[in-house]
Amino acid sequence: MTFDFGQVALVLVFAIVPILGIILGLNSPGLRSRGPILIGIVAGILPILAIYIPKNFVSGNGGMSPRLDAWLIILAGFALLLGVVNVLQNNFRKVARRESGWFFSIVLLTGLFVTGGFGIYGAVSRTGIGFNPDGSSTPFKYMTDWFFQPLQSTIFALLAFFMASAAFRAFRARNVEATILLIAAGLVMIGRVPILEFLAVPFPFLHAAAASGSQALGRLTEWIMDVPNGAAQSGIIIGAALGAASMAIRVILGIERGYLGLGKGE
Amino acid sequence: MRGFLERLLRLDRRWIFLFVLLSVTVPIIVPLGLPVTTTESTRKAFQFIEAMKPGDTVLISFDYGPSSAPENDPMAEAVMRQCAIKKLRFIVIALYPLGALNLANNAVAKITSEYPGLKYGVDYVNLGYKDGASAVMRRMGDDIAGAFPTDQAGTPLAQIPLMKGIPSLRQVQLVFTVATGIIGEWWITQVHPQAGTPIIIGPTAVSAPKYYAFLNSGQLEGMLGGMKGAAEYEKLMRAAHPEMDRFYGSTRDFTATKGMDGQTVMHTVVLFFILLGNIAFVLSRRGATR
Repeated sequence: MTFDFGQVALVLVFAIVPILGIILGLNSPGLRSRGPILIGIVAGILPILAIYIPKNFVSGNGGMSPRLDAWLIILAGFALLLGVVNVLQNNFRKVARRESGWFFSIVLLTGLFVTGGFGIYGAVSRTGIGFNPDGSSTPFKYMTDWFFQPLQSTIFALLAFFMASAAFRAFRARNVEATILLIAAGLVMIGRVPILEFLAVPFPFLHAAAASGSQALGRLTEWIMDVPNGAAQSGIIIGAALGAASMAIRVILGIERGYLGLGKGE
Repeated sequence: MRGFLERLLRLDRRWIFLFVLLSVTVPIIVPLGLPVTTTESTRKAFQFIEAMKPGDTVLISFDYGPSSAPENDPMAEAVMRQCAIKKLRFIVIALYPLGALNLANNAVAKITSEYPGLKYGVDYVNLGYKDGASAVMRRMGDDIAGAFPTDQAGTPLAQIPLMKGIPSLRQVQLVFTVATGIIGEWWITQVHPQAGTPIIIGPTAVSAPKYYAFLNSGQLEGMLGGMKGAAEYEKLMRAAHPEMDRFYGSTRDFTATKGMDGQTVMHTVVLFFILLGNIAFVLSRRGATR
């Protein structure tokens, strides 16, 4: 039997330390934050070390960093479960107290249980959640195809109506900045689609002019998207990345503790 | 005049809704066949896949849900058809939680029925859905089986011929992410720098502007921006592979090219209302100043 340092270290940090932290924290509120901070430091620093330390126990296939990635996938599953519990709690409370819109909570819970039930049935019966062996749909797929997908599409499609209405009411040339935005947006809207060709449909003598005008507008749109938009997006992305990096450093160093959800004195 | 302008500014929004409804539905029922011009980002994406060799592997990640399916479905289908024609092998995964798996299954079922010669496990494989998108990508960068131990039917990856010789994303020649939201960006920021795998993205039109920064920096090989990008791709497919006419030449089925008719009329209507609102706004303000 070989000694796997990486595995032992991970078990120590992510299993022993949390258990010890919980036991010690029962009597000492001041200690409650120590364990999570230590876990945060190790979890945050390991993927960075893995890039610079080409040692098997850190970055190898079964090393600490890839193992953390695998655990993260499992944790994401639990986060989903947490979301389900939260939805259940909130909606059961709403129904029990007959709060406004409680009837919609019943619809939501019914959808959750029926869809979830079909999903669990697919897992237990090993038919899955896609097609049956004979090519027919499983109950879960039936629900997705005929309820979930049309509902999602409908909700999103409503946006078109509200966007058009909002554009009419809010997109006004009130000042210089709004006018520049209006012109840029108008040019991109025209340049992305063959509006000139569409408007020239009843006038055959204008077809050639409309086609060349449309191509020129298309090139102008591409330039707007490529140069001013591309430059602005780069700035935004770099700024956000620097912000995320500084926040990550604060978490790794234990300076940022907001994510712990601690009370006063802890 | 002033009363008319005020009435115009307070136009009942149901009139706008009616125009929007007509501008979307009429072109779908009566296609206009408006021309589509191609952009460089789509041409680059198309040429990249065209230049791939038979037997190369493309990972197609379904990172969108039903809400943006009319934009994203045609992209995924076009690239899968191109893979089938060019004899490229493709691996299908889904990382978006809200219905991406179902869309992936539907697309795979559609394309494999169009190309019955495609053999599961040899020419294509469907690994299904996994939660925790960024963690899954990172894991796949080192070990695909670590993230997806089995395919969707429960067959271990070791038993799938296509997956032999592809332990990680480093052995995949292209990742094509059809995305809504942040997942597409993660492929660029997490997988491309670590595994070096080229990325092509098919985002929704609303998120496409962000990706121009990645195109300019060379982190993206190409992009199909929204329904317009999908329609451009269909046009390039028809030009390069005349047999594609059976899919894109018909006006019976929904294609991005057909959808662009509706989008063109819709843009015209929205621009008309914006123009109308601004004329009324400027005139009423001028009247008030006087």
